[in-house]
Amino acid sequence: MHRVTRHAPGHGGADGAAPGDQGDTQHRHFTARRGFVAAAGFGMVGVYFLWAGYGAAPLGFDGGHEAPAEDGRGAAPEPSSAGHAGHGAAASGSSSEEFRKLSEAFVEQNKLADGSVQPGRAMQDHAMHGAAPQGPVDVYLMAYQWGYAPSVLRLETGVPYRFRMMAVDVAHGASLQLGRAGRMVRLRPGTQVEQALTFSQPGEYLLYCTVYCGLAHDRMQGRVIVSMREAQS
Amino acid sequence: MKEHHALIDGLKALPAADQRLLKSCIAAALAALLLGVVFGAATALARGGFVELGPLTGYRSMTAHAVSIFFYWLYFAQAGLLLVFATVFTSHRHGIEWRWAAWLGLALMLAGFAASLFGVSSGTPLLYDAPPELGREPSAALGATYVGYLLLAAGLFCVATAGIATTVAPLARGEHDRMPVVSFAACAWAGLLMVSAIAAANAFLPSALWALGLRGAPAEYATGWHILFHNMHYLPLMATVLVWYVLVEALTGVKSIFGARFSKIVFALYLVFVPPTSLYHMFLEPNLTEAVRVAGSLLSLFISVPTVTVFLVIVASLEVHARAHGAKGLFGWIGMLPWRNPAMSAIGFAVVNLALGGALSFVLIQEKLAALLSDTFFVPGYFHFLTVGTVTLTFLAALLYVLPALTGRPLWRPEVLRWMPHLASAGLALFGGAGIAAGYAGVPRRVLEVSYDGAAPAAWTALMSVVGSGGALMTAALLVYVYALLRNLMPLGTAAPAGGEALPEVRWGEVVTGAQRAWSGPLAVTILVGLTVAFTMLAFELMRALPLTAGAGAVH
Repeated sequence: MHRVTRHAPGHGGADGAAPGDQGDTQHRHFTARRGFVAAAGFGMVGVYFLWAGYGAAPLGFDGGHEAPAEDGRGAAPEPSSAGHAGHGAAASGSSSEEFRKLSEAFVEQNKLADGSVQPGRAMQDHAMHGAAPQGPVDVYLMAYQWGYAPSVLRLETGVPYRFRMMAVDVAHGASLQLGRAGRMVRLRPGTQVEQALTFSQPGEYLLYCTVYCGLAHDRMQGRVIVSMREAQS
Repeated sequence: MKEHHALIDGLKALPAADQRLLKSCIAAALAALLLGVVFGAATALARGGFVELGPLTGYRSMTAHAVSIFFYWLYFAQAGLLLVFATVFTSHRHGIEWRWAAWLGLALMLAGFAASLFGVSSGTPLLYDAPPELGREPSAALGATYVGYLLLAAGLFCVATAGIATTVAPLARGEHDRMPVVSFAACAWAGLLMVSAIAAANAFLPSALWALGLRGAPAEYATGWHILFHNMHYLPLMATVLVWYVLVEALTGVKSIFGARFSKIVFALYLVFVPPTSLYHMFLEPNLTEAVRVAGSLLSLFISVPTVTVFLVIVASLEVHARAHGAKGLFGWIGMLPWRNPAMSAIGFAVVNLALGGALSFVLIQEKLAALLSDTFFVPGYFHFLTVGTVTLTFLAALLYVLPALTGRPLWRPEVLRWMPHLASAGLALFGGAGIAAGYAGVPRRVLEVSYDGAAPAAWTALMSVVGSGGALMTAALLVYVYALLRNLMPLGTAAPAGGEALPEVRWGEVVTGAQRAWSGPLAVTILVGLTVAFTMLAFELMRALPLTAGAGAVH
């Protein structure tokens, strides 16, 4: 025999005085009990297990090791900045003006005849022909209203690059369109962001701003041209 | 015999001065909605390539749309609904306590709206988050922008004060020994409004002083903005589920089968779960440490708990009563709801849209996916499911009930209005569907044109055309609502033809309930989790397929 409840219409939601407000009865179907509803309310928390399956959560299914890099493949070998990530802003760094000078020097040293910039070019001129660079190749990318310096970068597949990026006037974004999807960072004036990137496929990729930065925001763009690294002799 | 109807009877019994105040709040809300919708249509059509606005007009339209909708439509409407719920379900005989504070609050909010519109129309377009660095130098337009937000915050604080006073006064007078559920929820809602008003002062006061030439440029703006923004975009959601809670009883006579105390605990959960989960808006901020990002993701997993639980309370209560009333099959009870009532139609679609928006929003709380999606069109793609498809439809549903009770005039063409959620949701499906696809592909938000001189994939422009088309459909539906409500508020021409007929409702509240099952809610949650898993897996797989390997680096 089921205990029944009777509800009177009236005062805007269940009130303490109504008989039905005695709450659950043991004879209710379990789907209509408080405990079930309270537990089901946490249903979305179960998405954690998907994150863990992709190694993107603490105590993931990879044995609780460090979560992988943002692309889910596992962190790329970190250059000299290893260990800094996750520890917040360093105590010191470049100001916008210092970064501008570093960036301009980088462009000057690595500029090609067509105005594009090939990072590591200066280093390669002095190195053994075709030898792989020792360690990551530094790339300076400066974002400003409304462009990037350098505006055209020439990179190679399989080469680890260490991008050093900063916005020097207002906040900007730096997003690469990489075929079916993209990858972005947000840049704030005076804060240098470093990221290790290694391209696996050649192509000409659009670089564009993803943080609104003024009236010409949707004109702010650059190119990253990635070519296949030639076979080593 | 006429049914007892707590909401409508309570509104009709309010003192005339309270009715004038509530109608004024609703009029302000509709004005903001109208402006926001018009500017939103202009923005969507420009983005879709259907009209050419140029950058100055285009970005001003985008700013005016966001400011009018996010800051003013949603908050004028909340001010009115908060006072309705606080007074009708507490002590409608006494009306609104500290009415002068509510009037002052409304006046401050209106002054804020005027200042914000001046700022939008006369200065450099800053978009609604208005970072001071974009303004470059102090100016009257910049000052108006921040002062407008501060006036809005001060106004909300005053209205919330009146709302809390209204809910607690009967306790102080000894009329109640405990607070009714809706009054309790309204009190919690008002508390969060006050917290948000303080957060707004924290975010905007330094910038306002700078813009008025009274101090130097603020050193930090983004963090204060994100904290404020997080609270401000969850407040309408809390209001939404409370409106559902109230309207479902108005439409069906059904009250929660889980008791008052349980409902109060669930509404109180918003105070617990909303404030600590703001970090996920900041995942791309360069100074945020990895540990904070991970903590932000984990905390954000709990943001859905109060909303999902209220949804389950409502759906289980409805289903149990409908089954006791003879509903057959797994979903047969849904067909018995009064769908010809435009308010029922609106909140029905709002529930579906919330599921879609909620599932998509959960993709963004995973910090590893921020680099793929955070500043893309994925964001407006998902949040329009919430702002338009859920919150706005729900608030409009409430106004369809509240306004005729206040004016005494019948609703204009309810048989037309009940189809508007279909039209708005069809537009939303185009806007949101194409927008989400665009976001996955990397299309940036907050731009007017996406071709990048032909360097962007051709699909980007095509997707934006679909977004623009969807925006036009949503606009049409919302304009019909605005017309119907304004006509009720300020009767134009001949009298409305509805003849005072009551809107369709069902009365299931008196039915005896027993061991009826309530599977629809848990099934809906299962579908919600499934959608979230699918959208999240798609994002992870897209990241895996990128032709590059990325490692985190240092921040200096």
